[in-house]
Amino acid sequence: MIISKKKDLKGLMENIKGYRSFFLIGCSECAALCGTGGEPEIGEMKGALEAEGKIVTGGIVAKTGCQVLGTKTELKQFKEQLNKAECILVMSCGAGTQAATEIFEDKPVYPTNDSLFLGNMTRFRMFDERCSLCGECILDRTGGICPITTCPKGLLNGPCGGCKDGHCEVSPDIECAWVRIYERMKRLDKLQEFCETILEAKDWSKTQKPRNLYAREEKKR
Amino acid sequence: MSFREALNSGKFVVTAEVGPPKGTDIKDMVHHMELLKGKVDAVNVTDNQSAVMRICSLAVCKIAIEYGLEPILQMTCRDRNRIALQSDLLGASVLGIKNVLCMTGDHVSAGDHKGAKPVYDVESVQLLKIVDGLNNGRDMSGNELNGAADFLQGAVVTPEANPIEPQLIKFEKKVRAGARFFQTQAIYDINKFKEFMKYARRFPVKILAGFVVLKSAAMANFLNNNVPGIRVPQELIDELKAAGKEKALDTGINITARHIRQLKEERVCDGVHIMAIGMEDKVPLIMERAGLL
Repeated sequence: MIISKKKDLKGLMENIKGYRSFFLIGCSECAALCGTGGEPEIGEMKGALEAEGKIVTGGIVAKTGCQVLGTKTELKQFKEQLNKAECILVMSCGAGTQAATEIFEDKPVYPTNDSLFLGNMTRFRMFDERCSLCGECILDRTGGICPITTCPKGLLNGPCGGCKDGHCEVSPDIECAWVRIYERMKRLDKLQEFCETILEAKDWSKTQKPRNLYAREEKKR
Repeated sequence: MSFREALNSGKFVVTAEVGPPKGTDIKDMVHHMELLKGKVDAVNVTDNQSAVMRICSLAVCKIAIEYGLEPILQMTCRDRNRIALQSDLLGASVLGIKNVLCMTGDHVSAGDHKGAKPVYDVESVQLLKIVDGLNNGRDMSGNELNGAADFLQGAVVTPEANPIEPQLIKFEKKVRAGARFFQTQAIYDINKFKEFMKYARRFPVKILAGFVVLKSAAMANFLNNNVPGIRVPQELIDELKAAGKEKALDTGINITARHIRQLKEERVCDGVHIMAIGMEDKVPLIMERAGLL
């Protein structure tokens, strides 16, 4: 899921100080799980805005805020509240915010969160980055552990000299990705493969931005 | 005799290190070069070491040539993508730089520009393959070069890494990727280094043991606690302690000289790499005491 974090409230209030009335859009998917855009957070934001003398005309936890057409349909029933709002506050990720930008051509749209990474939830509201969306998965070559993401240098052929007792030079809190890959390959009896493989440099053209995908055959552009 | 010839001749090779300064005043650096001239087989020129921004390695390599030293261009993958790396390598080639040491490079978080974007477009093993390609007249994309490079390419290895197995697997990958010589992380335990050499001797590469002079027991403890792949044995720490504050540096120099002498006399490895780190003026003294001058 997309991991998001609330922006500092003081900074946010400074950003939106020119507006009086707001409509809030959360998201029931990632943002709700991150505690940044579910029902409780929308309630908190409403309280914070009203404490500053602002007006909240309404709010919705969109089912999937990054789904443009679906969100647009969901918002139809809030036409009046939306009309009264000078500004839309989006409480999900950057994709959700930009869905709103597309939907509201004539209204300013502000994000209340910072979007951080594609993450795994390991415990309640604890998230780890394990995939960088590099466009060409190498997990089949690295024992199912991604060094592009979990090694701060994204090394492809083993640990650097900065590995200390199985931990990373960048932070002792980071386990060395290549020690983990080595241990796993050993457990799976695949050490020979690990030793013999020299992975070629990544083809970063696969990540050329902005990326898009048209997965429906008949809708190919 | 060039560095390449010295390595191939079977001579016990000595390399030292020149750290480019931060700023345009190169007086001290040139003084260190003059001290090393005629004494060492080559000097490594570090590449924004510890991710601290300094004069680039390439420019200082060229200055080293002007002052009569043979440089080893240290090249990390931290600050340049594959286009910049290859371009700098071709530039080095036409400036008369013959040796390159391929490294991954300390992470930017260690340095003085912590907000910099770390590059690591390629890494040390792939960089070795790039150099091999340039030597064979091809760039990384397979395009033919109008004139090939002719580098002697080396790499680094940490004989005391913990755990050691993944490090040795990478060492073997570097050998297969074309590394001709290795310079090691600083070693302090000669018996353990001998074990590493017993393993490394199976490969057709030259190994230069790395040395960093211990200035005090406190420094030894600091290295043990903070620097990956360095382990100073307790007996050396005791020796430094026993020497007292005034004599600690002299004792550290003696320890380094004693170790180098032993490696040379027993032909344990092919040479040594002395990383002076702020004590460049002591390198001739270390060499003298080690019986290398």
